[in-house]
Amino acid sequence: MSDRIPTGIAGLDEMLGGGFLPETANLVEGAPGTGKITLGMQFIVNGILRYDEPGVILTFEEFPQQYYRDAETYGWPFLELEKAGKLRVIMTSPEVSRADLERVGGRIESLIREIGARRILVDSLSHFERITRDPIELRRVVYAFVNALKREGLTSLLTRESPVLVGEGDLTDEDVAFLMDSFLMLRYVEIDSAIRKALLVLKLRGSQHAKDIRQFEITGSGLEVRSKFEGREGILSGSPHRMAESFVEAFVRR
Amino acid sequence: MANPGSDLAARLMGDMDPQLLDFLKTKVNSFIKWDLVRFFHENPHSTDTAENVARYVGRDASVIEAELGELVGTGVLERQRVGDLWVYSLATDAHMRKLVDQFILACDDRQFRVKAIYHIIRGMR
Repeated sequence: MSDRIPTGIAGLDEMLGGGFLPETANLVEGAPGTGKITLGMQFIVNGILRYDEPGVILTFEEFPQQYYRDAETYGWPFLELEKAGKLRVIMTSPEVSRADLERVGGRIESLIREIGARRILVDSLSHFERITRDPIELRRVVYAFVNALKREGLTSLLTRESPVLVGEGDLTDEDVAFLMDSFLMLRYVEIDSAIRKALLVLKLRGSQHAKDIRQFEITGSGLEVRSKFEGREGILSGSPHRMAESFVEAFVRR
Repeated sequence: MANPGSDLAARLMGDMDPQLLDFLKTKVNSFIKWDLVRFFHENPHSTDTAENVARYVGRDASVIEAELGELVGTGVLERQRVGDLWVYSLATDAHMRKLVDQFILACDDRQFRVKAIYHIIRGMR
């Protein structure tokens, strides 16, 4: 087994020290439109095309046709990969997938084994909140689900919708993010009256990772991670300011 | 005197592929089943409850359940117990999947759709 599962996204793999750790659960959280699904699809398609690791997309929200269409805009041949038995896009619901993965020889397990899948994109974890509103029960349900994916030998990328469009969100003690092996945050930030996108690796269990906040863009070929935000602070607040301004605020305007 | 309605029916169905005609007569004999067959054709790996399938196809769950049951009865779909849930998925039988593919492909043709609609309406009377 390789010691890293690269996403194939230049810049991101560098931040992760080479990629995710094998057979781990990795959470990507962001507001709508930040690029969670693009990142997830790129993780899957790069796995198939570059690393010969078939993948599964488990969707609780979009129809497979939507993924095929979205992938096509980036030049990713999802339909051909489905036909070649390298990809499966499974549309189901959290309650069914959870129950299905808990039994031997379930439908999802069969599809995973049929193509020898090594990677999975789960879109999205937010839908598990439909099962229960009790945060402790939700944590138990997600824990069992994530463990089932690990049992199948999969490295998973799970998306989660952030309720906060710009700025910081809150994590409670029972947040499912604590169950994950890594936690990536995608954020909108406002700089000079323009919206930019920021990426941060908040956690990578058992490994070193970059602590800086990087800029990224969604281009015609997917997500591209760029340099870090130089000379600014308060990026996660959504409205960063120049470091010099902080200095003036703290020491001069008194 | 011959019934003009049955004449028209015979003419409409006469040139239809016998396999597809049989599929239409014995399996997809309602518009809801047609929607369901299309849904499972587009989502061949889907496994879900009647309630969720109803949500996906924009129909009422109480109506969908009976139609799903009939599609299971004719071998188009499979029904399984998963935990405490009953879930539905497209039959894994290769012959049935081929028939479903052929039916959906045929539906791209307007003439075929008109004949199929006529047949279903006739069956509803």
